[in-house]
Amino acid sequence: MKTNDVILKTTAQVVFFIIFLFSIHIFLAGHFAPGGGFVGGLLTSSALVLLLLAYDLKTVQTLLPINYTIMTASGLVLALGTASIGMFLGRPFFKHYFDHFYLPLIGDTELHTAMLFDTGVYLVVVGVTMTIIQSIGGDD
Amino acid sequence: MAFQIMLNFFIAFIWMFLSSSFSSSSFVIGFMLGMLMIYIMRNFFPGRLYISRVWALVKLTMLFMKELMLANIQVFMVIIKPKLDMRPAIFAMQTELEHDWEITLLSSLITLTPGTIVVHVSDDSKTLYIHAIDIDDVESAVDSIKNSFEKAIMEVSRS
Repeated sequence: MKTNDVILKTTAQVVFFIIFLFSIHIFLAGHFAPGGGFVGGLLTSSALVLLLLAYDLKTVQTLLPINYTIMTASGLVLALGTASIGMFLGRPFFKHYFDHFYLPLIGDTELHTAMLFDTGVYLVVVGVTMTIIQSIGGDD
Repeated sequence: MAFQIMLNFFIAFIWMFLSSSFSSSSFVIGFMLGMLMIYIMRNFFPGRLYISRVWALVKLTMLFMKELMLANIQVFMVIIKPKLDMRPAIFAMQTELEHDWEITLLSSLITLTPGTIVVHVSDDSKTLYIHAIDIDDVESAVDSIKNSFEKAIMEVSRS
């Protein structure tokens, strides 16, 4: 029996934006404040899982046609590549670099290669979580 | 509606460029000027002014606050009564709202005012099934919801 879950669907549409924005905020705040790649990735996948709960697997896959296995792999490659920058420059493995840059709209920003590593972590976490949930859920 | 909001933002940006000061204060001033201009040109737009819709939304919020207070006092009275003579009931309410967000908003408002909970929405989204904790007369309850919340939501969504 299919019930009419209009309330759940409409609420999920609204709440998705808030969770997604908050996940990006947490992901970017990881250097000087609580947060980081792992929590941000988990929050992003929780926003996607909310959509999965409100709608179904096919709808979400047409919305976001992402192969999560490739996403996990690219995250691992990014993290490994960031870690091995120092090796090519004759420094130890995992040597990080940072500098101050002037970005448009934001102004003086400190950019750090740890951010790239964090992006790798983020991609791996989103990919692994979504892979697990989709393989358990799409069992038909 | 959406076009008016876009136009208002556009006017605010033009004001920022004219006065060549890109701060939030000049944006707010430009936005106010845009509101005034859109009010002057109100007969040339199809549909209502968006400012009146915003005002209706404010009124809906105020109404919700008032109902929340009153209904909480009512439920408190039901709780502290020594004699338990409340009469719970589930009744159906026909709604005239059409859009999904309107039905969601109405259901949330009904659920958030204590004493009533929306338990089910029918498949064609025309009937809400509501559980009430203490009800004397179903007709009067339906009427009160219809006259307060539904009318206020319609006031917001009327194009």
